[in-house]
Amino acid sequence: MKVLGLCIFNLVLVIILSPLLEGIIRKTKALVQSRIGPPIIQPYYDLLKLFGKEEITSSDNILFKYTPLICFSVTLLLALLTPFGITAPLNIAGDTIVFIYLLTLGAVMIMMGGVSSESPYAVVGSAREMMMILTVEPVIVIALITAGIKAGSLSFADMTAWQINHGLSFSMAITGGALFLAILTQLAKLPFDIVEAETEIMEGPFIEQSGPRLALFKWSFYVKELIFASLFFSIFLPWPYFQFAPLNIIMNLIKVAVFIFIVGVVDSVNPRLRIDQSVKYFGLVIFFAFAGLAFALVGA
Amino acid sequence: MNGKEFIKHINSKFKRKIVKSEEQVKNQINIWINKKDVKEICDYIFNIMKGRFVITAGTDYRKKSEEEFLVSHVFSLTDDHLFVIVHNLISEEGLEIDSITPDIPAAGWAEREVQDLLGIKMAGHPDPRRLIVADDWPEGVYPFRKDFPHDGFPESVFEYKPKMKENPEGSVIIPLGPFFPTLEEPAYFRLFVEGERIVGCDYRGFYNHKGIEKLGESELNYNQVPFLAERICGICGTAHSTCYCQAVEEAAEIEVPPRAKFIRSIAGEFERIHSHLLWLGIAGHIVGFDTILMQAWRIREPIMWLSEKFTGNRKTYGINLVGGVRRDIPKEWHSEIIAIVDKIYKETKAVLNAIATDTPLLMRLEGVGILTNEDAISFSTLGPTARGSGVAIDSRVDHPYAAYDMVQVNKVVETGEDILARTLVRIKEVFESVEIIKQCLREMPDGPIMAKIDKPIPPGRIGVSSVEAQRGEAHHFVMTGEDNKPYRWKARAPTYQNLQAVPGMIINETIADVPISIASYDPCFSCTERMETVDVKTGKVKIYTKKELEELSRNKYKR
Repeated sequence: MKVLGLCIFNLVLVIILSPLLEGIIRKTKALVQSRIGPPIIQPYYDLLKLFGKEEITSSDNILFKYTPLICFSVTLLLALLTPFGITAPLNIAGDTIVFIYLLTLGAVMIMMGGVSSESPYAVVGSAREMMMILTVEPVIVIALITAGIKAGSLSFADMTAWQINHGLSFSMAITGGALFLAILTQLAKLPFDIVEAETEIMEGPFIEQSGPRLALFKWSFYVKELIFASLFFSIFLPWPYFQFAPLNIIMNLIKVAVFIFIVGVVDSVNPRLRIDQSVKYFGLVIFFAFAGLAFALVGA
Repeated sequence: MNGKEFIKHINSKFKRKIVKSEEQVKNQINIWINKKDVKEICDYIFNIMKGRFVITAGTDYRKKSEEEFLVSHVFSLTDDHLFVIVHNLISEEGLEIDSITPDIPAAGWAEREVQDLLGIKMAGHPDPRRLIVADDWPEGVYPFRKDFPHDGFPESVFEYKPKMKENPEGSVIIPLGPFFPTLEEPAYFRLFVEGERIVGCDYRGFYNHKGIEKLGESELNYNQVPFLAERICGICGTAHSTCYCQAVEEAAEIEVPPRAKFIRSIAGEFERIHSHLLWLGIAGHIVGFDTILMQAWRIREPIMWLSEKFTGNRKTYGINLVGGVRRDIPKEWHSEIIAIVDKIYKETKAVLNAIATDTPLLMRLEGVGILTNEDAISFSTLGPTARGSGVAIDSRVDHPYAAYDMVQVNKVVETGEDILARTLVRIKEVFESVEIIKQCLREMPDGPIMAKIDKPIPPGRIGVSSVEAQRGEAHHFVMTGEDNKPYRWKARAPTYQNLQAVPGMIINETIADVPISIASYDPCFSCTERMETVDVKTGKVKIYTKKELEELSRNKYKR
């Protein structure tokens, strides 16, 4: 019963609160660009508007019809695995593995949606997404496994507990940095919004999505913002930690807001990298992540 | 060498091939030759004398002489500040002439245009496909002949659509356009792509062809044309109207008062500053750097307010008339103008410093979109596009006009040959423009701003003028006519020459780099395409209200 209650709580949290995070990013960008920017609740208006629009399909492909839904469902499932200051409702011994699988599934859905829409721009975007998956997922895997090695367990709850008790170590700092960069790509924020790249390939895989489908894809990205930020803090920087659960939830949200603000600033001061430049860059990041892993193995 | 020496030289080199040569107006040399010698003589001027190809103007000369058509190739001898115009008369029986494009790649489009619009066959042209007229335009109907009315509307015939090139083995076609977010105007770049790498390209443009030259010769008089010229382009407006007025003033030997010249220069520099800052924003936006877009446009805004104060409009100034300008810049405004341009100088400097050290941005701009020095010369590219590849041409110094011979103008040249070089050229030109404006304000004499023209403009005289617009040299060729109208008006915008070099530039680049490469030329497609189809089913011109246009669009796509 408690599990069900927590599940519902997590779901409601991500569904309701995540567009606000996107609003924070947009306000941050406006700040850097000397503008006023849209109201902070603009993403809610955007989603509302999109859900009210007519569905226009460019292909009858079954993948085209269902990938947005699958992507969104997968992301919600991820929310049930993520600790938001408190232990995740569906936490199990193999948290990390399930998390990574679901993450990849979501990314593959974006790719499939693009390819099935029969637009040449979407195909180019999906090809880019594939290259991004291949170079960025390893970083996430390595970061999580490093945390797992230190904690001696693959469950997020254990990792959090270990980190609270032992403090920030050298290997965790390195892999945490690498993970931050990987998160930027997962959220499609500059300098890594290559897959969308509106001015180069006209929104890439999402070019033919419209109305409710596009809303679901967008919402998946908003939810991912909340998930990744929370996960990052839970595993690498879980302080301050209180005994009283609701305070932890609030603290997490505050930290997430700060994280999102930083993401917004990085987004505003960077141009978009080309896919080959990004691949080379992440080759380097993977190397550093491995270094972190090596340090963890020797106990640093 | 000066005009006289050139005439002596060319006559001694080609002896009897030159039928007539004269320097009617200072620094404007007209040579009349037999059409069979055109390749030899033009090749000599371009390749041996290192002249720059400017434009080819085709004229329906049938009322003026027994020979029917006139094809005039205009060249510029930059260091000598001369314009050399090579005229060829072509009779209706043998309506063809040798194409000079094989030796002078820069003439590619200009000759195709004469072929499309006047029906003069360019023998030996490497790419004689249709260029200007629409895909459904019938063959054999030549809109630029004097017997074709300016609002003529023939039946649609689709058989003569130009064939687009086929993609080479193993590559895929990615269409960039006609609709694409980074192109503000329709243009169709047909990219042949392997993976992300471009292996070939074809171009079809002229979707926005507007019929401006035809209008200028048929319906409008001398003083109405500047306002039409202003609307050739949304950004280079004053450059074109100044250029036209100067061409007519040269042909008619009208002396423009000095104060008007200074005002024209100042207006031109205002336009340059606003255009380069606008371009900087767009370039930033294309590589995803929206912060540059917002900041550059914020910096640019005071110039727009200033333009509105001075001319009444933010963009389409409309201050030029043949003989001078319509509005003055009173002394009380000088300090305000100087304060505004100084602020722009400072803020642009800050942007330049931020860009110069931004590694990700340099990764996108450096070494990308290479236009070699040789290609820049052989395609006669202009403006920042050419100056970024080391070709030091600038009409303000090469063919001084308005007040530029009375102030110091430095050419801004970079040798990087890549997008970064062109970016730096444009930013540094903003600084240069600020200095020029301040000099102009200091040196500006008092006096009238409009010449007194008390006799009619004599017909049959030729005037050419080059103006350094934001994208390069804009060139107008005017042949005066009777009845207070030009007989022939050819307007050539800089993007016309620059676009021809694009297919060669994007080969071996990735798709990601194509939009920024194209944008680095700062293409102004409306400048290039000067005719707009008039919506006519009955032969009458109807002006749709906004409401009617919206109704029309909605009804078409309603389901």
